[in-house]
Amino acid sequence: MVLTIPEIAKCFGLSSNTVERWIRQGKIPIQRRNNSCIFNQSILEKWAENHHMPFEMTVENTGNELKYPVENLLAAMKRGRVFYNPDGTDVGTILQAAAFLIPDLKSNVKQKIYEKLVEREKLTSTGIGKGIAIPHPRICLSSIKESLITTCFLKKPIDFAAVDNEPVFVLFILLSPTVKTHLQLLSRLSFCLRDVSFVEFLKNCPSEDQLLTIIADFEKQFEKSNSF
Amino acid sequence: MQLFHIFRNTPLGRETLLQSIYFCNKIGASPIVYIPKFLKFLMYFENDVVQIDLDPSYLANPDTALKHADQLLEETGEKPKFFNPKNFTAATLPDVPTNFDFMCCPRSISDLSCKIGLGYIGPRVRRIVKSAHFPVLITSPAYKPWHSIAVLFGGSSNALNALRLGFRLKRLSNLPLEVFTQSEKESRDFYDAVIKAEGIGKEMDQYVTQWHIFDQGRFEHNLYEIPHDALVILGAYGHGLIRDFIFGSKMEKMQSEILNNFIIVGPNYRARN
Amino acid sequence: MDGKSDLKRWRHLANFSIFRSDDRLLLIFIGIIVGICSGIAAVVLNRSIFTLFDLLYSVYHYWWTFLFPAVGAALSSLFLEKIINEGAGHGVPEVVYSVSRRGGLLRLRSSYSRLISSCLTIGSGGSAGPEAPVVMSGAAIGSNIAKFFFLNDRQRITLVGCGAAGAISSIFNAPIAGMVFTIEVILGEWSAVNIIPIAIASVAGTEISRLLQGNQIAFSHHKFNIDFTDIMASIGLAVFAAAASILLTRLLKSMRQLSGQLPSPIWLRAATGGAAVGIIGLYLPVTLGEGYHCIQLTIEGLFEQGLMIAALATLAKIFATSLTLGSGGSGGIFAPCLVIGSLAGLFYHRGLVLLWPTVSWVNEGCFALLGMAGLISGMLQAPLTGIFLIVEITGGYEVILPLIIVSALATTICHYFEPASFYLKDLVERGQLLRPGTDAKVLTDLSVLELLETDCISVKQNMLLRDFINIVKKSHRNYFPVEDQETGHFLGMVYLDDIRPYIFDPIMYDAILLEQIMDSEVEVAYTDDDLFDVLRKMDKNQLFSIPVVQNNRFLGMISKATLLDKYRKELIVQTTHRCF
Repeated sequence: MVLTIPEIAKCFGLSSNTVERWIRQGKIPIQRRNNSCIFNQSILEKWAENHHMPFEMTVENTGNELKYPVENLLAAMKRGRVFYNPDGTDVGTILQAAAFLIPDLKSNVKQKIYEKLVEREKLTSTGIGKGIAIPHPRICLSSIKESLITTCFLKKPIDFAAVDNEPVFVLFILLSPTVKTHLQLLSRLSFCLRDVSFVEFLKNCPSEDQLLTIIADFEKQFEKSNSF
Repeated sequence: MQLFHIFRNTPLGRETLLQSIYFCNKIGASPIVYIPKFLKFLMYFENDVVQIDLDPSYLANPDTALKHADQLLEETGEKPKFFNPKNFTAATLPDVPTNFDFMCCPRSISDLSCKIGLGYIGPRVRRIVKSAHFPVLITSPAYKPWHSIAVLFGGSSNALNALRLGFRLKRLSNLPLEVFTQSEKESRDFYDAVIKAEGIGKEMDQYVTQWHIFDQGRFEHNLYEIPHDALVILGAYGHGLIRDFIFGSKMEKMQSEILNNFIIVGPNYRARN
Repeated sequence: MDGKSDLKRWRHLANFSIFRSDDRLLLIFIGIIVGICSGIAAVVLNRSIFTLFDLLYSVYHYWWTFLFPAVGAALSSLFLEKIINEGAGHGVPEVVYSVSRRGGLLRLRSSYSRLISSCLTIGSGGSAGPEAPVVMSGAAIGSNIAKFFFLNDRQRITLVGCGAAGAISSIFNAPIAGMVFTIEVILGEWSAVNIIPIAIASVAGTEISRLLQGNQIAFSHHKFNIDFTDIMASIGLAVFAAAASILLTRLLKSMRQLSGQLPSPIWLRAATGGAAVGIIGLYLPVTLGEGYHCIQLTIEGLFEQGLMIAALATLAKIFATSLTLGSGGSGGIFAPCLVIGSLAGLFYHRGLVLLWPTVSWVNEGCFALLGMAGLISGMLQAPLTGIFLIVEITGGYEVILPLIIVSALATTICHYFEPASFYLKDLVERGQLLRPGTDAKVLTDLSVLELLETDCISVKQNMLLRDFINIVKKSHRNYFPVEDQETGHFLGMVYLDDIRPYIFDPIMYDAILLEQIMDSEVEVAYTDDDLFDVLRKMDKNQLFSIPVVQNNRFLGMISKATLLDKYRKELIVQTTHRCF
């Protein structure tokens, strides 16, 4: 096989300088002709094994896939939909109703989500103040393929044992397959909720379209700062 | 990027150093100056060790050498960097590293400067060119600024390397780049095909101001077309010893005809980007 | 690819597909060629010294013969300095340096220069040995053959070893000694990949010498009956031999310093030294030349002069050798060591007989042999070379027990006074002795550029803390280099640890510029620094990572964590011998 030195360096996760030197010193079974390296793949693999070196032929992939895609708040909220006035009078019943509203899931999964949400609430309330709660399970659920945020506006505010003891009028149920996306979404959502005007806007119980338009604006802001 | 320069404390050496400094300024490299304390040193290349015997004028007036070099370098505004050999093969035989990006050589290192004629390249300079993976800057006899870059391109692999170096220097210095080809048998299509096969067609269009192809006239006559104030880049032609001896190389022919500064790209040159 | 290089391709032997995976056959094959070439070089030198010496000393009863060594030494140093223009060194240290540091690259001119110069020095009567010049030539021949075939460093080093082994084997007609010497002194590494081609080259070198000069064991074999008392006595001999080798080492050193201080040109210095040797030679002719004849006499018990003459001859030989070599003559110490050793052994034996005349000692030839082994082991600090050489050149195995005792003891005692052997002393003093698989070798091989981590995000000096915090969020490192807005020069570092108090305080976000919180007096490393110095700098300042700067520009960081990773890989690669 013929590869260039930088390509080989990448296979071994070493710097090109090192590979170049090893070839020169004859420490690695590669021959050099001009700017290319000639080697026998099975011999090189065996050599790598004998010398406890990681060796992976990943020349075709240029490594773009390594980057985690940044989780989009707007997409998650679209997937989770917005609901109004779920039945229930206390935290348990409201959460049960809300859990069963989550779209595209089997009912046994929804039941499980409900149990997990309640379990999490028992630990500490997810009411973050200003009448808002972000219920979420303590451990990420493997049965969920894509992260989603289901928004529920309540008929009348209920006591959620929130940090500021204010009754909660809106729930953002946050479900995600990995911790990383969970944290990304949580971070973006809380950024939005820090905005006082946005909270006021939520109190007016906006329609799904209105809400998503505002979120789209926030998304643009995130893109610009390129943070998170 | 670093350019290695061996300082000769004579008026001729001053011209050479000025030329090196000029080159460095143009491409944003920094000169590293070696003021020799011994007449000999070794350069270890990948598959060769070259002993360079300097001519005695390199050691003339060692007291003023540092001062003179310092003065010339200080005008560039950067802190002058001097090379002190760390390794010695024998007590009076220092090793000079070979990991520089460029090296400046006068036309001859080992022979007395009074013997240096036009069109003569000393055997040591040749050997450096042959073994080095860096290009060698061969200065004009007197300090001569340049304002464009000219690459001589004949289609061989060394010439392709010369062309790549031309692109690199063009990017660094932002001076106009012209390519000169003396076609002997082949037509322009042949050269286009070579360029395309190497995958440097895009750079060729992007960087080269003009490509002159001479299909008639003798090589020496056509050299007149090369601007007098250009830095000439050419590949060393890997001729064998005998051919060199009897016919003289193209490198020497060039040298005897034009007085420009040259950059010579040897067969072991490694393209960097 | 032009046709030219296609033609040359046959020289890239290692690129042939049969050798690509396993070059052992290739190395053995080229090793034979190298062994033969260096064997021939050794025979040529040996013969020409012999001829020249015979020619000159057919007239040696005249007083003016003391000028011969002077003329010879002057010519030899002129030859090295003016014609060959080789920075004259001792020879063997240069080979060891090149092996440990430069992948065994040696100059082509080294392959013949020492042969001629040492022939002039020794043939004219200078007291030196032909072995070091022959080792140098053999090594250079091996190196240049490797160069011709475009072999890599490891293969080249093996061939340098083959050259040295072939030379020693050929000159002493002693294949094992050649092999052991190469591995113990030149390469310093015992590994199967090296030993096999070197062994084959030793055989080739020996065979060539036998073909050209006949299979003569250098010194004929005698039967010795060794008693327990002799073994006890050999302990005393070891001390005695060690003292002699320490004296020789010290004298050589001071003689070299002395002649270095003389303001005269080098050829005159060499001539002065040579003349002095010549004068000593007028009174004690045993000191002249490489002295194999003298060794012959002592072993066979034909050295007739008395105890005091033996003592005097030992001292005189030590002086003559240090004069010849110290003043700039060309040659090695191997043969003089043997001569001094044999004379010292003789002297010791006669002393014993004088003190305890009733004890039945083994004959004095045996003690001469033991003395030789003691001096070789003491000077070269290579006990195995001493043992095998003596066993082989005398063809006798009975002396092995006292031989081991003398060699081991002499090496140990000498090591106590002179920590490095004569050949390696210069290298050790300069810190250039790098044996494979040692810390120094690993650190020298790794370069600053290889360890560079370039994933740092650089920031500008007038950036606000607020913007900086956004960068911190993206980065996965704790260090941020600060570069000048206009020139791009490196200004300093921002360490996350230093600014922790501010980054959680939003009031500071717009109040602080990076310029205010950066550390502008950081220790930096440069790309051409030795890793050893970089590490020392880090240790001194208790740093775990250090920025690397070139031309005032930041290139990356070096951290001890990456160093460990690379260091370990390098060590594995250096010490695991290849089985593909």
